[in-house]
Amino acid sequence: MRRSTAAAVGTLTGAALIVGVRLSVEPPAAPVAAPPAVDLAGGTPTPKPKPTGSAAGSSAGNKSGKATASKSAAPKSGLKDGVYKGDGARNPYGTVQVSIRIEGGEITAAEATYPTTADSGTINPPAIAALKQETLGAKSAKDLNAVSGATYTSKSYAESLQAALDAAKA
Amino acid sequence: MGTTVSIELTPDRPDHELRALIADVCGWLHEVDARFSTYKPDSEVCRFRDGALTLADLSADMRHVLDACADLWRDTDGYFDAYATGPLDPSGYVKGWSVEVASARLLAAGSTSHYINAGGDIRMRGHHPDGGPWRVGIRHPWEPDKVSWVLALTDGAVATSGTYERGDHVHNPRTGKPAQGLRSVTVVGPDLSIADAYATAALAMGEAGITWLAKRAADGYDSAVITDDGRAFSSAGLPAAV
Repeated sequence: MRRSTAAAVGTLTGAALIVGVRLSVEPPAAPVAAPPAVDLAGGTPTPKPKPTGSAAGSSAGNKSGKATASKSAAPKSGLKDGVYKGDGARNPYGTVQVSIRIEGGEITAAEATYPTTADSGTINPPAIAALKQETLGAKSAKDLNAVSGATYTSKSYAESLQAALDAAKA
Repeated sequence: MGTTVSIELTPDRPDHELRALIADVCGWLHEVDARFSTYKPDSEVCRFRDGALTLADLSADMRHVLDACADLWRDTDGYFDAYATGPLDPSGYVKGWSVEVASARLLAAGSTSHYINAGGDIRMRGHHPDGGPWRVGIRHPWEPDKVSWVLALTDGAVATSGTYERGDHVHNPRTGKPAQGLRSVTVVGPDLSIADAYATAALAMGEAGITWLAKRAADGYDSAVITDDGRAFSSAGLPAAV
């Protein structure tokens, strides 16, 4: 019984580290936590853990975070079905809390809440939600059909590349 | 609106029919100018501002414009604001919308390949006369004869807002001060009125607009940004020409 709790906490720690937070507890080997963290980084919603655990199947009335073992033989992994939350880990950017769901003795979902304020927003969100920096180009205007730019007046149009293109076509 | 509009149709019919299509577009744009100009006292916008018209008197188009401005105010965290300068001024939406409608009218008349460029904001469909996608340059903010990106598009809109043309004309509605940080913002997406509003809003946000724009990519609006100090940024889906 104690062992299974320790295993669950271990995976929480592992997942928390993947989102970039240092916890005081040394993480045991927890390879199963990696895939959900990748999903989070990719912006794909992972299944939302329910506040109360419910083992796959029928057992109703589980208490929060402490799912009762189903009557079938205990899974080999020693993990009890249910939903478990790690202690929130504080870091300079806010608090990170990781939840996992165990079904049939296996972790089926993991999710982390992390700060999304302006400062931390640049650190934690999926890398996909950012513009990439590049070298400012200065290409010649050949082979263009049209030019987009901030022109506000007829005068600025007259001086624009678009005007030159139009003149070339007229 | 004080804007020059360039129209190019891929010649898929006799010349006089092409000219009739262009005349129809010009007629529509002049109609929009007459109804929505903030400079013409008898426009619907001015008469609504003056109280001569009530909400109940407004045309369906005017109601659409007001609704769209309200939606965009919400979607841009208040940075697109038709009331930024005091009285109602929906020009920032009307320009892109009128070109969207014009392009839709061309399509309805059978013109599947064309572009309309209204003061640097472009709506295009189909292919250019040689068969490839339309190639659209984004003006370089310091070198007017150069472009900083070249895009290839067959169906979509490109809108650019910048501070390089009229200086500090875009204001941050939260501070009332001129927008600073971004020199040029280009947004590419399916609808020109939204792309235009997003570009203006991001410019008003300053550097925070870069992060804000990144989130718009999920809705199909890609972007390319140049900061005041010459850094360039673009979203992964920007349809850059090869």
